[in-house]
Amino acid sequence: MPQFESQFFSTLIFWEVVSFAILFFVLYKFAFPGILSILEEREKKIKDSLDQAERHRSEAERRLKEYEAKLSMAAKEAEGILAAAKERAQRLFDENEQRLSAEAERIKGEATREIEHERRKAVQDIRNQTTELALMVAEKVVQRSLTEADQRKFADDALEALSKSYQR
Amino acid sequence: MEESPLHPFELHNYVPINLGGLDISINKAVIMMWVVVAVVTFLMIKAGSARQLVPGKVQSLAEILVDFIRNMILDTMGKDGMKFFPLIATLFLFILFCNWLGLIPGTYTVTSQIIVTGVFAGAIYVLSLALGFALHGMKFLGILVPPGTPGWMLPLMVPIEIISQLARPVSLAVRLFANMTAGHTILAVLFGMVVSLPFYVSWLPFAGTLFVNTLEVCLIAPIQAYIFTILTCVYLGDAVTLHGHSEHAH
Repeated sequence: MPQFESQFFSTLIFWEVVSFAILFFVLYKFAFPGILSILEEREKKIKDSLDQAERHRSEAERRLKEYEAKLSMAAKEAEGILAAAKERAQRLFDENEQRLSAEAERIKGEATREIEHERRKAVQDIRNQTTELALMVAEKVVQRSLTEADQRKFADDALEALSKSYQR
Repeated sequence: MEESPLHPFELHNYVPINLGGLDISINKAVIMMWVVVAVVTFLMIKAGSARQLVPGKVQSLAEILVDFIRNMILDTMGKDGMKFFPLIATLFLFILFCNWLGLIPGTYTVTSQIIVTGVFAGAIYVLSLALGFALHGMKFLGILVPPGTPGWMLPLMVPIEIISQLARPVSLAVRLFANMTAGHTILAVLFGMVVSLPFYVSWLPFAGTLFVNTLEVCLIAPIQAYIFTILTCVYLGDAVTLHGHSEHAH
């Protein structure tokens, strides 16, 4: 095999060592620090960005929870207000109803009393007029034959009979 | 077939250079090392100096590679392993681009040279030993005793562990060299068939070369660079933590 020809060993070893040494020195001095630092910088930046994103996320979550709590509180409050309003409306309604029925009762009673009063008055009127009328008729009929006392007695009887028939 | 399928691995010195008795002649493999150094340097410097928070294409590619190596180190060695980052990253990029650029027809695959992979593997193994003894002193010899081994098993376990330890650099070197050599040999054989067969059947091996080349580019080259590098991480990690990680079989 050509690779085992030892006549080339010395030159290969020499140039391998020299080449490697040069490459090592140049990269060590000029290339690796820059590349490694930019890699680290980028890593740090990515990590920072991720951290920041995580922070934002948890912050957003916290806000959301806050808002949800507020929302549910508001809903509860609205429910309470609604219930109170309903109760108040019911109470007002009941009160009104009571008041109106009492009023109606009162008006009815008043009307009944009025009617009764008018009726009595009318009966009294009729009785008076009838008495007068009967008296007048009787006077004309029996003026000469009867004494005054007889006349009155007859009239009273007649009236009594009349009033009975009326009341019945 | 006129040419041996091992022809692509042959080297010829273009410029003979002699440095105090040491032959350091320039050949195709040496030039490819320079190209790899140039390409990796360009890519990484461009990416390192762009420093855009939203990266462009070159920066993205470089950052993917660097991030990949970083995760590899963090997974195997933990945060302390990052002090080895420059070494391991350079190793990974060098091997990866040697594997990749060698797949361009007409170029040379440096990692198909056993001596190149051997030097890397040997250096890494020596480094892990040095690191282990420097950090733990003679206690580092405890790496030869897997945790939980009963006393009477020691005469058996210690030799097995010594062999396992010595196999580390060998397997590391041979795995990369053999994979690269095998892939290019298959490509050479298939392409030899394309040239020598009559045109009405030659499209078959030609399709084969396309398929194998795609496979090499997309899978073998990066995977072998990855395996080489992650085993480096494991060996160095073993040396640093000593039983902190479980033994990795080969």
